[in-house]
Amino acid sequence: MLTFYLNQNKIATSLHHGTVLLDFVRRESRLPGTKEGCREGDCGACTVLLGEIADEEIKYRAVNSCLLPIGSLAGKHVVTIEGLNLRENTLLQNAFVDEHASQCGFCTPGFILSLTDFLLNNPTLNFEEAILAVAGNICRCTGYESIKRAIKLLLTEVESRIELSLDKRVPELVRTGQLPEYFNTIPQKLARLEFDVEPENPGKIVAGGTDLFVQQADKLLKQPLQFIDDGQQSREIYRENDQCIVGASATMEEVRKTPVFREILPEIDTYSKLIASKPIRERATLAGNIVNASPIADFVILLLALEAKLILQIGSASRTVDLHNFYLGYKKLDLQEDEHIHNISIPIPNPGFKFNFEKVSRRTHLDIASVNTAAFFAVEENKITDARISAGGVAPIPLLLKNTNAFLQDKIIDPAIVESAMKIAAEEISPISDVRGSAEYKRRLLQQFIFAHFHTQFPELIGAEVLA
Amino acid sequence: MPREVTLKVGVGKNLKERIVEIPDNAPRPWDGSDDLKYVGKRVPRVDGRDKTSGRAKFTFDIQLPGMLHAKFLRSKYPAAVIRKIDTSKAIKYPGVKAILSVQDKLPLIVRFAGQEILAVAAETAHQAAEALKLIEVTYDVRKFVVDKDLAKEKNAPTVFNTQVEEKLTEGDLPGEHSEVTQKGNVRGPNISPKDATPEKIDAALASSFAVVEATYRTQVQTHSAMETHGVVVDWTAEDKLKCWASTQAVFAVRDELAGSFKLPKSNVRIITKHMGGGFGAKFGVGIYGVMAAKLAREAKAPVRLMLDRKEEHLCVGNRPDSVQSLKIGADNDGKLTGIKLISYGTAGTGTGAGTSGPAKNIYEYDHFYSEESDVFTNAGPGAAFRAPGHPQGAFALEQAIDELAYKLKIDPLEFRKINTPNNEIRQAQLKIAAEKSGWARRNPNPGADKGPIKRGIGIANSVWYYFYGRNFQVSTQVNNDGTVKVTNGVQDLGTGITTVIVTIAAEELGLKPSDIQVSIGDSEYGYGPASGGSVTTGGLSPAVRDSAYAAKMKMFEIAAPMLETTADKLAAADGKIFIKENPDKSLSWKQVAKKIPGDNFIAIGERKEDYHKLDIGTIHGVQIIEVAVDTETGVVKAERVYAVHDCGRPMDLLTTESQINGGIIQGISYALFEDRILDRNTGIMVNSNMEQYKIAGALDTPEIESVVLNVHYGQSSTGAIGIGEPATVATAGAVGNAIFHATGVRVRELPMTPDKVLIALEAMKGASS
Ligand SMILES: Cc1cc2nc3c(=O)[nH]c(=O)nc-3n(C[C@@H](O)[C@@H](O)[C@H](O)COP(=O)(O)OP(=O)(O)OC[C@H]3O[C@@H](n4cnc5c(N)ncnc54)[C@H](O)[C@@H]3O)c2cc1C
Ligand code: FES
Ligand code: FES
Repeated sequence: MLTFYLNQNKIATSLHHGTVLLDFVRRESRLPGTKEGCREGDCGACTVLLGEIADEEIKYRAVNSCLLPIGSLAGKHVVTIEGLNLRENTLLQNAFVDEHASQCGFCTPGFILSLTDFLLNNPTLNFEEAILAVAGNICRCTGYESIKRAIKLLLTEVESRIELSLDKRVPELVRTGQLPEYFNTIPQKLARLEFDVEPENPGKIVAGGTDLFVQQADKLLKQPLQFIDDGQQSREIYRENDQCIVGASATMEEVRKTPVFREILPEIDTYSKLIASKPIRERATLAGNIVNASPIADFVILLLALEAKLILQIGSASRTVDLHNFYLGYKKLDLQEDEHIHNISIPIPNPGFKFNFEKVSRRTHLDIASVNTAAFFAVEENKITDARISAGGVAPIPLLLKNTNAFLQDKIIDPAIVESAMKIAAEEISPISDVRGSAEYKRRLLQQFIFAHFHTQFPELIGAEVLA
Repeated sequence: MPREVTLKVGVGKNLKERIVEIPDNAPRPWDGSDDLKYVGKRVPRVDGRDKTSGRAKFTFDIQLPGMLHAKFLRSKYPAAVIRKIDTSKAIKYPGVKAILSVQDKLPLIVRFAGQEILAVAAETAHQAAEALKLIEVTYDVRKFVVDKDLAKEKNAPTVFNTQVEEKLTEGDLPGEHSEVTQKGNVRGPNISPKDATPEKIDAALASSFAVVEATYRTQVQTHSAMETHGVVVDWTAEDKLKCWASTQAVFAVRDELAGSFKLPKSNVRIITKHMGGGFGAKFGVGIYGVMAAKLAREAKAPVRLMLDRKEEHLCVGNRPDSVQSLKIGADNDGKLTGIKLISYGTAGTGTGAGTSGPAKNIYEYDHFYSEESDVFTNAGPGAAFRAPGHPQGAFALEQAIDELAYKLKIDPLEFRKINTPNNEIRQAQLKIAAEKSGWARRNPNPGADKGPIKRGIGIANSVWYYFYGRNFQVSTQVNNDGTVKVTNGVQDLGTGITTVIVTIAAEELGLKPSDIQVSIGDSEYGYGPASGGSVTTGGLSPAVRDSAYAAKMKMFEIAAPMLETTADKLAAADGKIFIKENPDKSLSWKQVAKKIPGDNFIAIGERKEDYHKLDIGTIHGVQIIEVAVDTETGVVKAERVYAVHDCGRPMDLLTTESQINGGIIQGISYALFEDRILDRNTGIMVNSNMEQYKIAGALDTPEIESVVLNVHYGQSSTGAIGIGEPATVATAGAVGNAIFHATGVRVRELPMTPDKVLIALEAMKGASS
């Protein structure tokens, strides 16, 4: 039996663990407030909160229930819109009513859930970040203008009435009538919940499920699954000597928040905004991003430039592979049957390095890149001692631009070498025309980005006029 | 006995008197002299609480005991003849209760990938999906064509071998029906005006001082409402059908189901309490509705059939694409001389690719010629989509107008004024838009910004028309405890008619909006409009007011003896009924209601003809848009929009503004992101999801400042006109003009994605160096 809490109710179910939570709440629990718009993580209509105990405190995060298999729920708390309702509307719900932020209303529960996550978790409660919290929610009716007004109203109301310090937000929101009382009892209830951690049965590895359940939700209902997102251990991110070790089931958001990773990529918050949506990042793991092997996987592009290595395991045997050698061809990996990623190891660079990430997509947010690229530079007195530029969307695999990087080695940075690097890069890629742009466009774009890498990191050496 | 009333009519504050004849039992129409308490103010949605708490139940959410789930088997080929279907394995699959073909007899001719073949009903959705996989279809695959240019060629495979009847819904423009010929895949051209010839227009343009000529292309856009199409059907008796439908037209759905099953109308009940958006694609019952009802009858159980996102993109409507060659000319004083438009586009297996509305109806000039054709392709049929034909037409026309203005060195806004001299509303809107946006500060030279991010500001006009429908029946029931309920069958697509009804009834009865209950979305109630052509508010609101007015009159009759006066001396406000001349002599609404004989009374209001025709029959709009173009990546960001629109007298500003905002964002999304892509080689849509079919999100949206210009016509008791459609017409054209102003480059093809913009920029660089 799989046991978890859904709103205030204890659930024990023997349904297939690959059933997605959206279907579970709507069909089994008959809670129709959670909506379905796409079943692929792209509309946010199905957003729910997922709560779990970490470091003795309950933490909630908004996730897309359409991509969340119930097998990942053991011992956790799921909150749907029904579980947020009180006798009176909350400030959040009222703001939506007063500002007409709901038109047909099909998207509304999703927005309410995403913003509840924001109130529960966001360190600063400002407008810009609140909007980011709903970047994964599509509304076809309102034009978002009224939703923005509602958010502004909410923030003023919250500011004047609630003291939301960083921790203990749950009890504070309960005390002020923004969350139902039962939230306070959930931690004890979860602690008492008995659930068998499923034995490590062999089966298809499911991490966050954000690729798997988009690609093959049907098939997954018919095969044994191995959920690896549970054990705390595999989610750990820590420093070991000069390496940052990222556990196989650490998510993009967990990584983003970890100090050692932030030391490597101080600008990770900015990059994160360009990657998926928060609910997706809350589930999506780095390992999953790597194994899915999309030629435009954003984290892979970051990790390639950071010279990451993978620690692979079968049983107790383990081996290490450089990430850039892991990809053998389109979706072909140096990964054996039964082998899995145990850890990702990222060298912590010496201080003074330069890093830049660029991505262009049709929509700036929640969209897959046409082209993305990252660049790591170590420089001594304008001389490049190490260059690692990676690029996605320009080849069947996420690419490390080996020729370009080799060319840049030991060069003094000046406009001429940048121009040459742009040329070499254009020659070592093989983009194809598809929905995300023509081959010609992608080639051109990558060249612009190479320029941008230098221009943003070395503005005193490479001015804007070089391009023109 | 009709009576005459003198009304204040006109644009904004510019009012004049007009004598209007109205029926004796009708209220004096609201006019420019009325400052009303709720009408035209910001009344929050009455269903807000239901929607923010997730309690609002959509068709998608209906669960009935024993309900089965149905799913379609759809053709995987774009063109085929199906002679054999083997369902023997599928019918044995656990849970399967019924399998029915969409056509009783084979062969079935398939004309697009995604066309319905048969449907399965099973106990669970999963079982239905699994059963579908066991069905063996023998396809005799035929040649197909999905590219409209290839489809026009002589030897192209033909989509239809017979003449195609044009099918129109309430979402299409009345009078759009055209008698044209069909040859191969081309239906048309439809020439307008009927007696025009290309020679005449060419001659007129040839003698013009300046002429611009270019070809514009627009893409196919899918409606992508958040709730998909679908129904839940329940045969409550052998000859009685109850159907929850996600529809824009409960009465049309009722009629179609009654027709399909040969049932009396009174035996079919359609319910649409909450509805997750339609935008023009949800008028009929659809093949899904009929099939669900058939399956339910066969399986003797209720059936739910809701489409999924992919089916939504493939099968149930879209905005047709277009190729428009436009040639327009002007004299040296900036007066337009004529417009020539040759346009074709594909609505797949449907019709409706015309684009000439804006070219015909925005500007004043002498010579016009248009040729419009539909090209059939093996793709899902188009459907009415928010201002059919107009965003496409305005994208081309408004860029051409802009280009001509630059050529003549006349300010583009000024140029638009010069060419609409007799339209007082448009003149007022252009003035307001100029002031709001600080147009005068704009650098007249395109591409003037230094640096890689270039900003620009563009303007475009929109046009729409006034339709309203007739014979709607609204009832206002007053109970003897004073409670009031207003009832009509109309559905609320989210556009807010429920709130509008409450607002009007509260205003008329002198009560608070919270005192009024509303029941809508049911074909067993009084006849209501189908929500298309922006008719709902303009059509229904006078009947709402007239019904509330009749109820008020009844209350006055009851109150008159109590106040020792006559009914004509009474007024109602703030929950009281009082003597106009002596407001202190009053009774509360409740006191009067207590005296209602029996339990309650019902007063009916009926929508009749307008009192008179509008002087200007069009509805207008001006949008000014600021964009930032990243010339290194081609990424365009719409930063700010100033929108000025008119819709007669707005009923509730919150819903009106929300329509404008929603129209603008759909326009931005159309301009920059959305694009249905069919693979030429397989005929299959490659982006039938929301991952690759991109719709604007909160972070893609500009700041929007909208102004609703009040226009009082006195044409009906409320003076309301719809706004749903006009708001989306101008947007893409304005974005195109803003991109030009930012960069000096015209992007004449939608969507204006980074690749197209960058390549256009490169081309310009190449040409200038
Ligand atoms: C709406 C949406 C938007 C997205 N946007 C972006 C974006 O902007 N940029 C981007 O890069 N990606 C994006 N993605 C994809 C991204 O979410 C995934 O690539 C994610 O990182 C995969 O991680 P996961 O944990 O969800 O993997 P899962 O789906 O659980 O697994 C993916 C694959 O990896 C395998 N796997 C997982 N862990 C291991 C392991 N430890 N060892 C061996 N195999 C393993 C699984 O078996 C499976 O084959 C988006 C996805 C969605 C749904
Ligand atoms: S249903 Fe669209 S994100 Fe889940
Ligand atoms: S209100 Fe209709 S989708 Fe948001």
